[in-house]
Amino acid sequence: MLLEISKPKGRRLGWKENYIGWLYCLPIIIGILVFTLFPIILSVYSMFLDWTGFQLIWDAEFYGMENFKVLFTGVEKTVFWHALGNTFCMMLNIPVSMLLGVLLALAMNRKMPGAKVFRVIYYVPCITSVVAVTILFTKLFNTDGVINKMLEVFGKKNHAKWLTDDVLVKVTVNILIIWKGLGYSTLMYLAGLQSVSTDQIEAAKIDGATGAKIFTKITLPALYPITFYLLVTGIMGGLQLFNEPYILVEYGLHNNAMTNASLIYYYYEHQQMGVAAVGAWALAILVFIVTFIQMAVDNKKEKY
Amino acid sequence: MDAVVARTATITSDKKVVSMRRRRLIVNTILFVVLLLGAIVMLYPLLWMLFTSFKNYTEIYDGLFPKHWTGAAYKYIFTEKEKLPTSLVRGFINSVLCTVPVVLVQVFVSAMAAFAFAKLHFKGKNILFIIMLATQMIPFTVIMIPQVYVFRTFGLLNGPIAVIIPKMFGAVMTVFFLRQFLYGIPDALTEAARLDGAGYNRTFFSIVLPLIMPALSTQMILSFIGNWNDYLGPLLYIVGEEWYTLPLIIDNFAGNDGGFDGVPRIMAASLISMVPILVIFAAFQKKIVGSIVFSAVKG
Repeated sequence: MLLEISKPKGRRLGWKENYIGWLYCLPIIIGILVFTLFPIILSVYSMFLDWTGFQLIWDAEFYGMENFKVLFTGVEKTVFWHALGNTFCMMLNIPVSMLLGVLLALAMNRKMPGAKVFRVIYYVPCITSVVAVTILFTKLFNTDGVINKMLEVFGKKNHAKWLTDDVLVKVTVNILIIWKGLGYSTLMYLAGLQSVSTDQIEAAKIDGATGAKIFTKITLPALYPITFYLLVTGIMGGLQLFNEPYILVEYGLHNNAMTNASLIYYYYEHQQMGVAAVGAWALAILVFIVTFIQMAVDNKKEKY
Repeated sequence: MDAVVARTATITSDKKVVSMRRRRLIVNTILFVVLLLGAIVMLYPLLWMLFTSFKNYTEIYDGLFPKHWTGAAYKYIFTEKEKLPTSLVRGFINSVLCTVPVVLVQVFVSAMAAFAFAKLHFKGKNILFIIMLATQMIPFTVIMIPQVYVFRTFGLLNGPIAVIIPKMFGAVMTVFFLRQFLYGIPDALTEAARLDGAGYNRTFFSIVLPLIMPALSTQMILSFIGNWNDYLGPLLYIVGEEWYTLPLIIDNFAGNDGGFDGVPRIMAASLISMVPILVIFAAFQKKIVGSIVFSAVKG
């Protein structure tokens, strides 16, 4: 009896399970080696090359630090910082979206007719095609478009340039991202609210806690992990923002909605692969910083 | 005297209950109206898209509903071809080619790795898992350009292959999610299967796969929506216009047909490109919404 049970356990660390385990992971290992690690090596190497991307990489001339100079000290150096500024401006939707998400989730968490229908309706924009809705927004936010027609009703006669003005175009991108992502943050917060145990609230009520106290001491702390998650993923996505601003406005090097990702794409299109790689790694460093902050906060939380 | 006090006490508490109920009703009504207004804001752009596709271009910005309904925009986008990079029907086929194989193979391959990580014991498992997660930190903007170069070198940029192949090898986030799901299934089940003489493959195909089917199908739906809507991938990896997916086609079309008269047609084409997504969402909305709630509770 004892022998029978211990036998398969002994087999566990045998060569067969080792080999089977790696075999089952083989596709994803190949995928990571070929489509992530190999491109990373090429990308690092190409930072020091004068490479168009159309000749073979070993035919490209060694370029020293020239690519870094183009991006950080050359004539175009303002472009990088300008793009970074734009990228940060287009992340302003993150706190707004979180705040609206909490409020909507609190409202939808009440027992009232239609609450479930509202959840679905608010989520519809999340699944729509980013290209289709961005094109849609170019028509809504035209100078003669729907939004300006609506503002006319409220007495605003001169039409705002939502798509061409330096500041307003960022407002438009932010509105688009909020509209498209609000259902997601609402659902996340709703899940957080539903994870608060009713027992805990009942116990607090018996102890004489008021509604406001229950909210600040029990409900809000329960939403903290989701807020943190939304913030981190929001910043990661925001740093790499490409689709919405790229489709929304006409595209050029001194574009007022150019993000870091679209700058990288610009250099790729103009066959300056080295500069594109430098730009991509500058962005990657920002992503790494956010990741390390996230890890540090997570570790700290586990200690408590 | 005591009886009177007791009676007044019950009356006041009844009054309290009534007033609380009333307050609740008022608050709920106000919140309902606010949520309704918000829902209108969320749906208005999509409704505008729908109704504008049936408008004549002279009235596109005159109110939400068309005054004279016309299907001319739909007729145009399916018959005229000069302003479209390739026909919408061809684009539909291209989009299917770029999503369906990806969805099926990607989720299956991810399930294989998740099974290994959750239920098998092999040397280097933990290190492999950490390396896998670490590669997720690298932004797509870093690897996308060398990937284009590799595919160009092998002459694969003309067709959909460059979009499909990299995704065929599994997705790390799906592995992570399915591994969590498999942890919820007791080891006793897989161990018992193996004690009964089932090999690893049989354990995977006849025990594990059926058990994780609910999670697999949710991942497939989410993966389908994501891949169908993908823009940057096809933009980089598809050079031949006849291989454009729907997002690329409508993006090009919106650029080529930019005048006022093009607006209904662009809206019609955009709407057509989203039909499969909207149908899938309508059919599986409970599952999709539920999976987000599930991932939120886990994370």
